[in-house]
Amino acid sequence: MRRTRPIRRSQLGAALALAGVLIGVAVAVVLPDGSAGPSSARPSLPPPPRPAFAPENVALGPDPVAFWAPVLASASARVSPTRSHVVGEIARRTPEGTTNLVLVLGHAKRVAGRLWVRVRFPGRPDDARGWVPRSVLGGYTPVRTRLVVDRARLTATLMRGSRRVLRTRVGVGTPSAPTPSGQFYVRNQLSRYRSPFYGPVAFGTTARSPGVSDWPAGGFVGIHGTNRPDLLPGRVSHGCIRMANEDILRLRRVMPTGTPLTVR
Amino acid sequence: MDFELTLEAVDRDGAIAEALDELTGGTRADFLRKAVIGGSATAAALATPAVARERNTAKDIAILRFDLGLEYLQAAMYSEAERLRQLKPRTLDWARVVGANERGHVRAIRGLLGRNAVKSPTFNFRGVTEDDAVFTKTAVAFEDLTAALLKTQTAQVDSRRVLAALVSLHSVEARHAAWIRHIAGIVPAADAFDEPTSRSRVARLVEDTNFITSTPRTKGRRQPRYTG
Repeated sequence: MRRTRPIRRSQLGAALALAGVLIGVAVAVVLPDGSAGPSSARPSLPPPPRPAFAPENVALGPDPVAFWAPVLASASARVSPTRSHVVGEIARRTPEGTTNLVLVLGHAKRVAGRLWVRVRFPGRPDDARGWVPRSVLGGYTPVRTRLVVDRARLTATLMRGSRRVLRTRVGVGTPSAPTPSGQFYVRNQLSRYRSPFYGPVAFGTTARSPGVSDWPAGGFVGIHGTNRPDLLPGRVSHGCIRMANEDILRLRRVMPTGTPLTVR
Repeated sequence: MDFELTLEAVDRDGAIAEALDELTGGTRADFLRKAVIGGSATAAALATPAVARERNTAKDIAILRFDLGLEYLQAAMYSEAERLRQLKPRTLDWARVVGANERGHVRAIRGLLGRNAVKSPTFNFRGVTEDDAVFTKTAVAFEDLTAALLKTQTAQVDSRRVLAALVSLHSVEARHAAWIRHIAGIVPAADAFDEPTSRSRVARLVEDTNFITSTPRTKGRRQPRYTG
């Protein structure tokens, strides 16, 4: 029977030394920075911060019904950018001293290096349209509301998109001084004046009363309150659209300047 | 009062044009040194209630307010372009996507600033949103400078959370810049490294555009003279 030879002490020592070297190499490979042995203190990274914002897109919202722009300089409105025939003059200020506004229609055109914009403006006839250089206008403001005045039903209805925001009974022009029909817009808002006749708030429009030829400040039609609510609804005015004071105050809260006005 | 609507119309001292010329012939560093219009976006999206309750340092508030002003500017410009629909289809697609991003940035920064948020000013883009070529060039300048500005701000903020947000914004703004550069026919990444730009320079460049205007006076107290 063959007996195995006892391992010499020197051989055992060499084997243990070799194993130690191998373990050391293995640790060095696994932990290349040599910093984190099982028993060593491993420096930890700070936790990642939670960003102060979480990304989220914001949709643009419904299309506006119109854009208005302030008039920065008086201008002649042309029949087209390429023709010098003037269809009307556009003032910088309204008769009430506020900044005049125009409604922007359609796409701009570049002609001979200059950008032109087609606009609706207060003039004669009431629904005046023409082309002006873009440079005479200020920034565009989108409007989502539209006011519709029905002369037959004696109502005013404010729409935002397809939603009815406000509806009220109104007074309109008498048969001799009728409220004009057509497409107009609201261009300013007056308040804190001393005239109970107009109520607490008056909106200026671009419509002109056809039955009033020599009225001061051009005979523009307003939308305002009244000190005679007992006359409403009815055909009682010189062309203006009158409503009860509580209704004009409600309208002020929901109808921005530049709102297109349809009178039918 | 009349002037031609070109890039010069919004760049009275010619600095934007000079900067844009550099895009094709100069280095990125040259562009950032000379560019005029200032960037935008600095924060993205909605602030969580927990974060909103945290107090911002005065320095972070100043940085975020500045960024909010730029975000208002960019969001308004791209939104107007989207609404007017007068750009070429490819540019309009860019304005739609990027506009939604920028509006998200506005909401996010406002949420984070809370009562320290500033209101939006009134803008007049002077026809830039109605002319494809001018819009594209202006957008390139805005987006490039936005990315450059964010690089500066990330080294300035106190809060790590704001820092993390700015870094996440930076990559988005860099994508905006690359995309609009591609549309403009400019190499999106011409150089290996970008350089930062300072807040003061961006502020000066924005001022030079004259995009920020006074609010029109549409309300008055005069006695009405309507027909009655």
